[in-house]
Amino acid sequence: MTQALEETTDLIKEVGLRAGATVVGVAAVDAFNEYVPEGHRPADFLPGAKSVVVSGSLGPSNAAWQSPNRRLMEITGYDFRENVSALVVAEHIETNHGYQAMQAPALPTSGQHPPMSMMLAAVLAGLGTRSIAANIILNPTYGLLYYAATITTMPLVPDHQLEDEVCPARSCVKMYEQEGKTPCMAVCPADEGGCIDATLEDGAITSSYFNRERCSTRAMNFGIRGHIKQVELLTNADDIEESKAVLYSDDFRRNLSAVGRYKESVAQCFECMRVCPVGRYRRNLK
Amino acid sequence: MSEVEPDWDEVKADIISRALSRGAAVARVGDPAALTDAAPGQRPVDLLPQVKSMIVLGGSAPRAGEWNSPRAEVLETVGTADRMSALGSTLARQIEDGLGYYALNVPTSTDEGDKPFLDFQAAAIVAGAGTPSLAGPVLHPEHGFLYLTVILTSLPLPVDGPLEQPACPAPECVEMYDEKGRTPCTSVCDIDDGGCLGGEIQEGLVIGRRYDANRCRERVYHYWIPGYQAVMERALSEPDAEKRKMLLYGSYFTKTMWSITYSNVSQGQCFECVKVCPVGSAQRELK
Repeated sequence: MTQALEETTDLIKEVGLRAGATVVGVAAVDAFNEYVPEGHRPADFLPGAKSVVVSGSLGPSNAAWQSPNRRLMEITGYDFRENVSALVVAEHIETNHGYQAMQAPALPTSGQHPPMSMMLAAVLAGLGTRSIAANIILNPTYGLLYYAATITTMPLVPDHQLEDEVCPARSCVKMYEQEGKTPCMAVCPADEGGCIDATLEDGAITSSYFNRERCSTRAMNFGIRGHIKQVELLTNADDIEESKAVLYSDDFRRNLSAVGRYKESVAQCFECMRVCPVGRYRRNLK
Repeated sequence: MSEVEPDWDEVKADIISRALSRGAAVARVGDPAALTDAAPGQRPVDLLPQVKSMIVLGGSAPRAGEWNSPRAEVLETVGTADRMSALGSTLARQIEDGLGYYALNVPTSTDEGDKPFLDFQAAAIVAGAGTPSLAGPVLHPEHGFLYLTVILTSLPLPVDGPLEQPACPAPECVEMYDEKGRTPCTSVCDIDDGGCLGGEIQEGLVIGRRYDANRCRERVYHYWIPGYQAVMERALSEPDAEKRKMLLYGSYFTKTMWSITYSNVSQGQCFECVKVCPVGSAQRELK
């Protein structure tokens, strides 16, 4: 019975991988209870849920990381394969196994908080751990990944959370000991107008600080928030000439373009990840 | 032990075959060095320093049924350019994961100043995915109008190079020009009569092409970002609250928002010059 369940779990992971995910893991729904309040747990969205299948995929291609044109990285980040993978897994479970399955809701519906945290799901499914760099969940092999999840009533064999923290990497600990900061702290220091700060002791994070509001104004420069800000500028303009200066500016066009091509342009700052050593060796190709 | 040099012809054949099997109508390889004269910042090497080859994919043109629909709204809303871009991303990922070479699917959206990151049409011409036309788009001799995507890669692939024979003007267009002094496309959108296209044909070749890019943009991107800006400007200048509401809740502004949020299915709304173009028209004739 257990072996059959393990085989089925592996098969479902394989379905997710074939659909384009780079990694797939499974978390038990009960594991969420310790970390999030009611209303944000898988069973709140799918009563009777037993398992959460988490798909992670790479964002920008390795070539994009190499490009000297930083603006190219701003708009060539994603193909949302993790979402495709999550949907394919859900479809597979409902069609072939007869259990209910749905993609977990990850986009904020009220305020800035998502209904269900994909970051937590990834951690609980053993795919990564929280980092100093903007709290991004780093996978030990690939570093930065994007996550989506499938909630299902199907019982599956859950993965274990990673035993070792991925962050800080050894080279970061060494740098911290010498300079008092890690590469991500150095590139975006909170006390110099940046977003990141932390302390390390014996190679482990003892405290970390992330200014999410500041980060989001930088990482999401163009897009929905930028557009809303410009609409505010338009409604407060003193005359139509002032409005036209905003309306026909390159900034306005780029914001709308980012809204329209959201798939290509979700965020525009990758600096803390650019210097992060976790998974960076994989970006060096021929 | 030294690494064995791959058979680059085989590598290329495999990539081209994957592209064609996943929906590209045309897949060719161009030499990125041929675009060295592009503006600084828009050369392939400015985007990927290691670039050695430029893979150009063309495809996902409107289907025969869409071209034949009597309702202009069909072509205005069912463009499928996004499919090529998605295919480019997939292929680039396969090159990086499977072959270990850099591969960059050049974004289809624009850089600051609304400039493209790379001139896709120039890349297509250099790779032989089409030739320039009087109507504006690069035309493939067999398929006519296609949406394009370009992958820059450090793979040293054998280059196809430009096509020897231009797809435009087609023999029918030369005949029409000889008789009436204009081609189907210049006739449907005459630059001297409020349209965007003009030019002459001499000895079967296009010379002195005239194209009003700004006017064309205004018409092609009717509901896209320029449409949004135009309505907002009018709404902001309108003192009457009821009239402002009419502008903002009207179908034009609504369609504009649909166009922006569904940019993958509806970016351009004027297909008239290509609709009358004979190049590739055989592909649009079905039972």
